[in-house]
This record gives sequence, C-alpha cells and structure tokens, in this order.
Amino acid sequence: MKAHSLKAENLVAGYGDDIILNSVNMKIPENKISVILGSNGSGKSTMLKTFCRLLAPKSGSILLDDKSINCIRSKDIAKSIGLLPQDSIAPAGISVAELVARGRFPYRKFMAPLTKEDYIAIEEAMEAMNICMLADKSVDELSGGQRQRVFIALALAQQTDILFLDEPTTYLDIAYQIEILDLLKDLNKKKKTTIVMVLHDINLSSKYADYIFAMKNGHLIKEGEPADIITPETIREIYGLESVVVTDPVSNSPMIIPISSHDEISGVS
Amino acid sequence: MIKNEIIFHGIEKRQKHYYIAIFIMFIILAILVCLNVTIGEKNYTLAEVVSIILNGENNYIIMKLRLPRTIAGIFCGIAFAIAGNTFQTLLGNPLASPDIIGVSSGSTVAAVFCILFLNLNRGIVSIISVAAGLLAAFTIYKLSCKNGFSNSRLILTGIGAQAFFTALINWMVMRAAEYDVPTAMRWMAGNLNGITTDTLPLLVIVVILAFAIMVYCNQSIRSLELGERYATILGVNVSVVRTLLMFCSVVLIAFATSISGPIASIAFLSGPIATRICSNNQTNYTSSALIGAILVIAGDFIGQNLLPTRYPVGIVTGLLGAPYLVYLLIRQNKGGVI
Repeated sequence: MKAHSLKAENLVAGYGDDIILNSVNMKIPENKISVILGSNGSGKSTMLKTFCRLLAPKSGSILLDDKSINCIRSKDIAKSIGLLPQDSIAPAGISVAELVARGRFPYRKFMAPLTKEDYIAIEEAMEAMNICMLADKSVDELSGGQRQRVFIALALAQQTDILFLDEPTTYLDIAYQIEILDLLKDLNKKKKTTIVMVLHDINLSSKYADYIFAMKNGHLIKEGEPADIITPETIREIYGLESVVVTDPVSNSPMIIPISSHDEISGVS
Repeated sequence: MIKNEIIFHGIEKRQKHYYIAIFIMFIILAILVCLNVTIGEKNYTLAEVVSIILNGENNYIIMKLRLPRTIAGIFCGIAFAIAGNTFQTLLGNPLASPDIIGVSSGSTVAAVFCILFLNLNRGIVSIISVAAGLLAAFTIYKLSCKNGFSNSRLILTGIGAQAFFTALINWMVMRAAEYDVPTAMRWMAGNLNGITTDTLPLLVIVVILAFAIMVYCNQSIRSLELGERYATILGVNVSVVRTLLMFCSVVLIAFATSISGPIASIAFLSGPIATRICSNNQTNYTSSALIGAILVIAGDFIGQNLLPTRYPVGIVTGLLGAPYLVYLLIRQNKGGVI
C-alpha cells in the first residue's frame, strides 16, 4: 500500500487572538518515525492538533495526498490519520475490548454489528500492544502503562497509516516509556506506519526517531536526522541550554548531557 | 482470520446480557401497564380492558382516564429519559441532566405562564415551551462560556438558573393556585392527572421521531463518550451531531413538560440506572427509555394506589431522585471535580 503523504503549508494557527504557529511548512516523512522537539510553548502540541483537525488553521493548509483536508470527508480522514491525545478519558466501567472496538467508528455502517474485518482489526491492534489478556478488564482498573497501551490500541484499530502521539510517555516510569516506544518502533517496522510524536525527552527522541523537527516560538527552525539536530548548537538554539553531546554506547545515537550552572566548577565545558 | 477468539467472548457475553436485560425491562413495563389500566377506584380484569379497547367501547374510566394517562406516562417517561441521557452523555457528567441544570425548568416557566395566565391551548404551549427550553439552554451555555467553555461551570450556572426558574414557577403557581390546586401541583412536581386524548398524538410522534434520530446517531454518540477530541479524530462531525442531539433533547423535554409537567428525577435517574443494569459497554438509549417509562408508570401507580392519599407521580419519583443526587454530589466531591 502506498503511504499517504501529509504536509502543512504556510500554517498559521492559534487560540483566540494568540498566534502560536507562524507560517510553518512541515512535510511528514513517510513510513518513518518523526519526533517534534521544542521547549514549552514552542507550538509543537498546536502543530499536532492542527494536523489532526482538532484546531482549525487561521490560514495556510494541511494537505493529505496534496488535497486540503477541508475537502475530504471526515470519516475518510479518520481512516488515514490517527492520534493518541495527551490525556484520554474512558467511559466508566467500559472493558478494554469494547474501548478498542470504538476505534472502528469510521468503518462502521449504520446499525450494523461489528464485521469480521472489525474483529480482525481489533485483534491485531490488541496483539500489537500486547493487551489480549486484558480484554475483559475494566479500563478503570488498569495501571498507567497498560492504559496507555489500550489507548494506542484504540488508535491502531482505526487502521490509519499515519499515527500522531502527543507525549505518549508522560507520567510513565522509564521501563514503561521504553516498552511503549519499542512497541511503536515494531509497529513502524512491521506495518510501515508513519509515526509522528511529541516527546520531551531528547535522548529518547534521538534513540527512536528517524527524523526530528525542532520548533521554537511557533517556527520550525531545523529539521533532519538525529545526528544533524542533536548538537550543542541546536540544543542551545531550541532550549537555551548548554550541553555536551556524546554517543550513546548502546545504540550509537547522539545523547545529550545538560550542563548546569554548578557543573562549571568541576571544569566540564 | 481471528486467531484469538477468547478476547471477544466478553463482548458477546455482555451483548447477550444486554438483550436479556432489555427483554426483562420490557416485561416489567408491560406488567406495570396492565396494573395501571386494570386497578384503581374501580377494578377491571385484563380481559375486560382488552375487549373495551378492541371494541372501542365508550367506557369513560378506561378510554378517557386510564389509557390516555398510561400512554402519556410511557411517552413522557421515554422523552425525559432519553433527553436526560443525551445531556449526561454529551456533557460527560451525570449531574448535567436537563432537570438539574435548568433546561427543563426554563421550558416549564414558559408553559406555566402560557397556561395559567394566557389560557393558550396545549399545542401552542408546546411550541412556546420548546422555544423557551432552547433559549434557556442557549443562555445557560453562553453564560458558562466566559473565558472558554467548561463543563463544571455549565453545571454550576445551570443549578443557579434552575433555582431562579423554580422561584419564578412557584411565584406564578402561588398567584394562580387559589383557583386551581391540581394544575398548580402539575407544575410543581409533574402529574398525569387530567391528560386529554387530543394532546397525545403529537407527543407520540415527537418522541418516536427524536428516538429515531438518536438511534441513527448511536455510533457517533459512542465516539463522543470518549470526548470531543476522540470523536473528531474518529471522523464524527462533532458540532453537527451535538447540536442536533441537544436540539432533539430540548424538544423532547419541552413537549413532555407541557403535557405532564416536569416529572421529577426521570431525566436525571434513567440513564445512570440503565448504565448500572446494562453496563457501560452499550449505548443505553433503549434501556434508559424503558427505565424512564417504568419509573413514571410505577411512580404513578404507587402514587395513585399504594399511598394513604393520592400523590402526583412527580412526588414519588422525586423521592427516588433526592438521595441519588446527594450520593452523586458526595462521590463527585470526593473525586474533586463537579
């Protein structure tokens, strides 16, 4: 299957009178894992929301296969673009399998029960997130890591080839963070799903991303492979932070070590 | 191929449970309806009632009193229940029922004014109270929209509006009550006394139409339960669906109110009870409609036959609603969010 292409052209967006994104052009690399980095308030979450139609652009456009998303039926967009929002609520008492099944909305016909395709998609999504054994559990009873996997499965049941995730690892401890990111990497390798994430952790970003977008004050200031972006200069530019970049001895990806104002005493620079 | 069927056993089991529950509720409602038409000051056997209805006999008690009363009870119950359930689902809060947040009393104010002071006929009253309900809903929404919409602000504003409207209703009823206490009671708590057959066809049509629209939107509502964001991502036209459903709900509330008065607690209780019985894995339109009808008919039967004096149905159902409201407030307060 040919991957859908997605890009933003001269995108201006914001809330009320505040302009957050200022004429951003961004083309999402197909079949890759991309990460959007940026300091708080740099517009990275706004970028994600605009891509996913949660926020209407003030000007400029989002193009899916070179067609403005305003001209495509919402259900058809929902078959191509999925999102894991930052915080998700589940109706009280709903079971895991039923929650994942709701991801099938764009495919379902009026009054029809779940079809065989629906069942297969739900099963695949639950297998990919390794939650088959939780099927009958109530979502309220799950741990943070399990919950996050359930909501990712919901997005996977939607069978989109582009998946956005807004800080999927927040509130999770390091082992769960790695687990989630590993599952996403598997997904990208097996199904060629284009993945775009907002992450706060620079080192995890550089470990998992094929491509990084760096944003600041509503502008896309740099983009490229981790090795080109994770440099002391760019980190200073994005975050105003001094750092040393070394190579991660395990994955060979660049890794930053931040320098605090107390470190200078011990002579590192 | 599905390899791991075990993960769907739960879904199938709950589906079966749901159909059984619906069936049982239907039977209960049928029994209550039979009780309601047969028992009263004068008792009939079921066979007598059936033959009276089938032959179209001119029996005043059955044809003019009990039958219209029961039909009105069923359809008003359904109307309050599904409208309440829609509000609760769309606003994601069991407190956000139209009879708690002022929408019902908004249309009651208009209905009371038109009936007690202007002496308008019921058809016109229904239309005016629909308009008033929509206006009340819109005003409450706008008032809670300052600095961005929030559900809890909507509920608080609504409770305030509710208090204001109730005061207005009480004032109007007090002025009129000297002449007509039963009418006054209708507007205080909801009452099925004095239902006339001519008001019923419109009610039945409106309820069936609105119910059909809600069932049509069923899948979208399930997505909306996950919040607006998820619904948008899943491809629901959120603003269209929400406006349509809110409109239907207000119309239902206003119509039912103009006929039976605001029968207490039905809108507020039916959805949560249905959810308890059928679990939250189903959208509970059919189940909450049945619960609404059961509550009204049972409440009316109890009020008419089982208590020392005759009480209007709204007093009986109101007694059910109050403890639940307290429970809900305590529980939500513990969670720290209204």
